[in-house]
Amino acid sequence: MKTKSKKEKTAVAEEPIVLDIPEEEIWTYQIEGLAAPHINKPYKNYTLKKIVFTLTIIIAVSLSMFFTIRTVQKDTFEYEPLANNTYQFSKFSNTGNITELDIDYVTTAEVDKLNPDKAKIIKDETKVVTEIREYALNCDEAVQVINIGKDVAKIDGKAFYSCWALQRIEVDEDNPYFCDVDGVLYNKDKTKLICHPCDRDTYLSEKYGHKPVFDDNGQRTFPVEGDKEFEAYKRDVLTYIVPSTVETIGELAFNYAYLQEIYLPEGLKRIETLGIFEIPLLENIYSYKPNSDINFETQNLGEIYLSLPEGLEYIGSDAFSYNQAMSYVYIPSSVKYIGHHAFWDTVYKEDGNLKGVTQIDIGMSEEEFKNVECGDQWKPQYDHMLFKKSVDEVFDAQRKTM
Amino acid sequence: MSDNNKSSIIDKAKSLFTEIKTHWDTPAEGKYVPYKEYKDIVFAVGSNYAGSKTLEFITFASSCYLIMHHYKLPYLTFSVINIINMPLNYISQLIWWFVCDNLGFLPKKTERKLNIVYIAMMIFGLATIFFDFSALFDQTSAFIKYLNGLEGMTAASCFKVFGTHFLYTGWVGARNIFWRKKLLPKYGRYKYSLYSDVIPKCVMVFLIGWLPVYNVPDVATRVWMANLLFACFNVFGFANNLEICTKSISPNLQERILVRSYPIKISHIFNSILAIILPVIIGALRYEWADINVYRFVIPITFTAAAAITMFFAGRVKERIPQPPIEKKVQIKFWDGMFGVLKNKYLLINNVVGLIDSLGNGMLPFVTILYFYTFRLSGLPYSLIVALISFAGTPPDLLSPYFLKRFSYKQIMIFYQLSRAIGNAAIVLAIIFCGENLVLCGTICVVVLFFMEMTKTVPTTAGHDMNVRIADYQMYLSGERLESFAGVYGWFTGPIVSFVGLIIPVLLLQYGFNSNWDVLFIDASRRSIIAIPLIIDVIGFLLMTIPYFFWDYDSKKQNMVMEVLKRRAEVTEKKAQEEGVEVSGGYKG
Repeated sequence: MKTKSKKEKTAVAEEPIVLDIPEEEIWTYQIEGLAAPHINKPYKNYTLKKIVFTLTIIIAVSLSMFFTIRTVQKDTFEYEPLANNTYQFSKFSNTGNITELDIDYVTTAEVDKLNPDKAKIIKDETKVVTEIREYALNCDEAVQVINIGKDVAKIDGKAFYSCWALQRIEVDEDNPYFCDVDGVLYNKDKTKLICHPCDRDTYLSEKYGHKPVFDDNGQRTFPVEGDKEFEAYKRDVLTYIVPSTVETIGELAFNYAYLQEIYLPEGLKRIETLGIFEIPLLENIYSYKPNSDINFETQNLGEIYLSLPEGLEYIGSDAFSYNQAMSYVYIPSSVKYIGHHAFWDTVYKEDGNLKGVTQIDIGMSEEEFKNVECGDQWKPQYDHMLFKKSVDEVFDAQRKTM
Repeated sequence: MSDNNKSSIIDKAKSLFTEIKTHWDTPAEGKYVPYKEYKDIVFAVGSNYAGSKTLEFITFASSCYLIMHHYKLPYLTFSVINIINMPLNYISQLIWWFVCDNLGFLPKKTERKLNIVYIAMMIFGLATIFFDFSALFDQTSAFIKYLNGLEGMTAASCFKVFGTHFLYTGWVGARNIFWRKKLLPKYGRYKYSLYSDVIPKCVMVFLIGWLPVYNVPDVATRVWMANLLFACFNVFGFANNLEICTKSISPNLQERILVRSYPIKISHIFNSILAIILPVIIGALRYEWADINVYRFVIPITFTAAAAITMFFAGRVKERIPQPPIEKKVQIKFWDGMFGVLKNKYLLINNVVGLIDSLGNGMLPFVTILYFYTFRLSGLPYSLIVALISFAGTPPDLLSPYFLKRFSYKQIMIFYQLSRAIGNAAIVLAIIFCGENLVLCGTICVVVLFFMEMTKTVPTTAGHDMNVRIADYQMYLSGERLESFAGVYGWFTGPIVSFVGLIIPVLLLQYGFNSNWDVLFIDASRRSIIAIPLIIDVIGFLLMTIPYFFWDYDSKKQNMVMEVLKRRAEVTEKKAQEEGVEVSGGYKG
């Protein structure tokens, strides 16, 4: 019965329809169940409808614009009150001309009438900032220096994400929770490196007198291997020695840094998620044994060896991703966890040859390595026969000598 | 298989072959499209679709990899530009609708006035671009201060963006009148623009990759220059015009669905092949998707080839809307347009659905994020997964004629919204609860996407036909399809859409999404960036079922509407001939 009715329905739809429409009714003929056509007839008695229509449209359009503008409009500084009557610095939207940022008190920005190119910063010293939210600064292209106030007690690891022009982070000496070492942010006892600014090389170049050179397009150029000043430039600007006290490289700590060599201390236990991520110039990671003879000023570190330090336990996800200039990785036997994609895209093919990290040396046996918790695709992969292939791992490997 | 079945299949195949052979050049009685045109549709729509899909790699939006990776424009800048363009958009749209729904044929005086307006706009636009007016700004005024505070902008760049939109509007408006009048009588309303735009579009596609605007160091300058470049790019269209044309290829409903289900579906194979080949080629580049050569060579060459094939076959695909000759067409005045579309109940239903759908506005392409950032796919594995999922829709689509006969459009669309809600909810659960286990999470997502794609194609076909029916019904109501004036619904729903549509971008910004997509490598951020908007989308899909309960426009009503349209065309043409008027562009059906 049911099937029959469905067939009937279909039959109705397919029935040829013939309408007898007289020539003079072609523009007015109304189909049953549908509205009547209105063609070639003026809308004479529609004055009220026209007014209502026009007013509705004007209100709707005005509201559209209002809502859109309100949603996009951003205060330069945004804060959230906290339970202890202090404030969290939650969002910074640069007016484009703020190059130095103080994070200490609730602040507003106004245009300085005497100097319109600079924002006039007004601080309310009764409202203290104690926290900096994740992504408080996100993809800022102007801020060069951030000054952290004495009361700031909590800084999220992602607070200063992709601040392309950031050269230095300075911390008030009276701050009991954080400190800085020449523009790099640490916790107070320097056991955790929190943020190495993206553009710190510009600050170091100026500090050590490496005069900027500009090409024909006005782009700044840097000494490259072979130039006579390269060695000094490499020592002063392209090398970073992580202090011997550091046990943790924080989340996103080194991302996009302009570094060729990083020295890690033996005693470092954790490299967090994206800790040393996408440093295109990074060729070598060295480790050193902390001892009293070390002189950081002269970069005399005593015993140095290649790759990751003994004692390292944790390598976060994407910790070393996209470091294609790196060529050697040795995973010490102390490692207990390797996050997913930890060494992603550190190997590539050029002219048919594999370049970058072409194998992973592991300082433990295959049996021992089974106890290491490994995330998916933690090894570098390269294109092979239209698919991806992981590089080989070499167990019981001896660390390469310098 | 029994002998009877075998012989029945053979008989059917034989009769199909005879049918095709007999009606290769001339259609069968009651039908309008010869089978030869089916063949032409495959190549014409195939290349047009592939070309237009290739262009999706180049858009001035946060979802475009070129914009975000090379141009590095702040995410909210696009909303700011949208606001700057908004007032002029409203005014220019009114003129645009009027011109389009009169098919470019306006009273001479009106046409002259409009051209003067358009030329003046172009001159103003060019002046803002070539000269620096910032010295005239009072930097201390609240307005200038506000403009300087906008993300990625300064007052000077805002003014240039403003001027660019004048240039764009004037240029596009003048072209619209000129080319419609010149080409529409010959090529019809849906594909004429291919003929006027294809060559400049090819040139612009090359320029987008080769002009080093993304190297401009200052972000505000980069923003206005990129906006100008993309405005010029957008002046010339290359939409999927031929497929749109085929939606009105026949006044016969079944034939329309047949064309949609077979030649059109087969034509999409071109794009499927391209969807496999392109990522493989891009995967072989030094920096894969981040390699600028994608935009210098791969996209322009692919697009140009597709465009050339499109133009070769474009002339062979015809639209067949029963309509009076252009010389005798109904003149649409402003209020005819406005009140005409408001009388269309079915258009209202569609717009309410669209309004609810805006809940998902501003969402990132989560499937792309899953592939690139969660599973790190590239090259052939990426192509295979994409091909596998997009293929999932093909078998059900071939059965579209059956499903569309068997179920009402109302049932199909309600099922569609519910299946989206369930599918997206399953993906959210997989991301939240098995996000750490890439293999398990990936498998669940791919399986769900596969089923979602399978259940998508029949409703999509129904949706396309519903839109054509709505336009046919509008033609019955108003004497024209008023596809442009229908945009006024957007004005009414605008406040809600603009309010709701910016919720997701602001949420995304909170989770760290901005111009640097690397934030998607951070598991927690990526999870929030994908999952929260998807949850909002699920709510939207559930609500979208409600308006469809009011849809009662069935095939019987549609057939009656087509009869009225045919009769109008027939009588009008007859009268014109009696008056001795030379006519063009009409179709009696």
